[in-house]
Amino acid sequence: MRTDDLISRLSQGLAPVRRVTPPMQAALGWLALAFVVVAAGVALSGFRHDLEQRLMLMHEQVNMAAALATGAAAAVAAFHLALPDRSERWALLPLPFAAFWVSGLGWGCLTEFVERGWPAMHVSLGCMSFIIGFGVPLTLGMLWMTRHAARIRPGPVAALAGLAAAAIASVGLSLVHHLDAAAMVLIWHGGSVLVVMLLARLWGARAMRAMER
Amino acid sequence: MPDMSSGCLAPPDLALDVPRMALGDSARRSAQEERWGGLLAAAQAGDARAYDSLLREVTPRLRQIARARIRDAAEVEDAVQDALMTIHALRHTYDPTRPFGPWMSTIASRRAIDRLRRRGRGAGRESNIDDLPESAASVAPVAEERIAARNLRDAVAELPESQRTALRLAKLEDLSLTEASARSGLSVGALKVATHRAMRSLRRRFGVGEGDDRADR
Repeated sequence: MRTDDLISRLSQGLAPVRRVTPPMQAALGWLALAFVVVAAGVALSGFRHDLEQRLMLMHEQVNMAAALATGAAAAVAAFHLALPDRSERWALLPLPFAAFWVSGLGWGCLTEFVERGWPAMHVSLGCMSFIIGFGVPLTLGMLWMTRHAARIRPGPVAALAGLAAAAIASVGLSLVHHLDAAAMVLIWHGGSVLVVMLLARLWGARAMRAMER
Repeated sequence: MPDMSSGCLAPPDLALDVPRMALGDSARRSAQEERWGGLLAAAQAGDARAYDSLLREVTPRLRQIARARIRDAAEVEDAVQDALMTIHALRHTYDPTRPFGPWMSTIASRRAIDRLRRRGRGAGRESNIDDLPESAASVAPVAEERIAARNLRDAVAELPESQRTALRLAKLEDLSLTEASARSGLSVGALKVATHRAMRSLRRRFGVGEGDDRADR
């Protein structure tokens, strides 16, 4: 087909379109949805018995705030990055928060190791299933909201969506699950967040293309 | 002696013209993009004529962006058409309060990159060896064959008339000795001798041993 003919075809019977929601507004909308979903999950699972004491601890507050900031920053970055005219540098926005979060947990591991030696490690599939169970649907929700990115930069947008969803789910998990050792939190929370992010990176583009049709 | 200073310094009016031209280009481009942004905003509201104008006006720019990455003209046009279709599919993502240029450039670049990826590594700025009429690998054997054929023709031309006739009838036209004899007026025995001598003389000339003679019989 000639380019002129294609243009004529595209302009014929052009229908009005509704502009996409501005990225900050869309990010706030998704974050609100994520909080409701995770809060419902927390309510159903019940708060951990020592929540009050844990929330008094400085490092616990810092870790939760860092996870929250990472999730919020990743959501803002994903919605910006999904638009063609936004800089690819938006992808870097959650990195400082994520680095702060991981380094906080790493520092916790180190101090615990110095004070009490290597903590008893055990498999915590509950952690993983909570983060993946809430992270994957929330990721799919964001992929649906950013499905227009399928034709521009689906991979990075999907990875950021996975990070946002899993980080918010991790905050919810901190309110539910009894996991004191920073090493355990680092392995199971961090590992689960990575799993969700990798799944989103691997399958996100395909999911976005399917949703766009 | 020539005045060196005049060659080193641009005349004052010319020196002023360069930034003025650059400024003019940039202002023109920015005004053009502003117009395109307006046309797309109208298209978002359903204005088909504005949309048609926009797509026709941006096509040369899309082609320019594609050409910066792709060498093959047909691929460039395919990338332009891909970009037009993506603009159509993503027209709802344009925010009229923001510049139109980066929005369009990202779309055009992505489509050109996709084209290159599809063609695989090594496409684009590099020439595709299959597109060339004759590859380097195929030139050498063809040239060698041509040279050998010319040498053979020259060698046959230098043979005596009777040998040349015998060779043509018996070997090239593949006639039987009786038919060749009837056609040439030479006896069968004379034809045999003439053909044999012609073959021996050609073998000598091309350095083929007598042992190979049997293969030709």
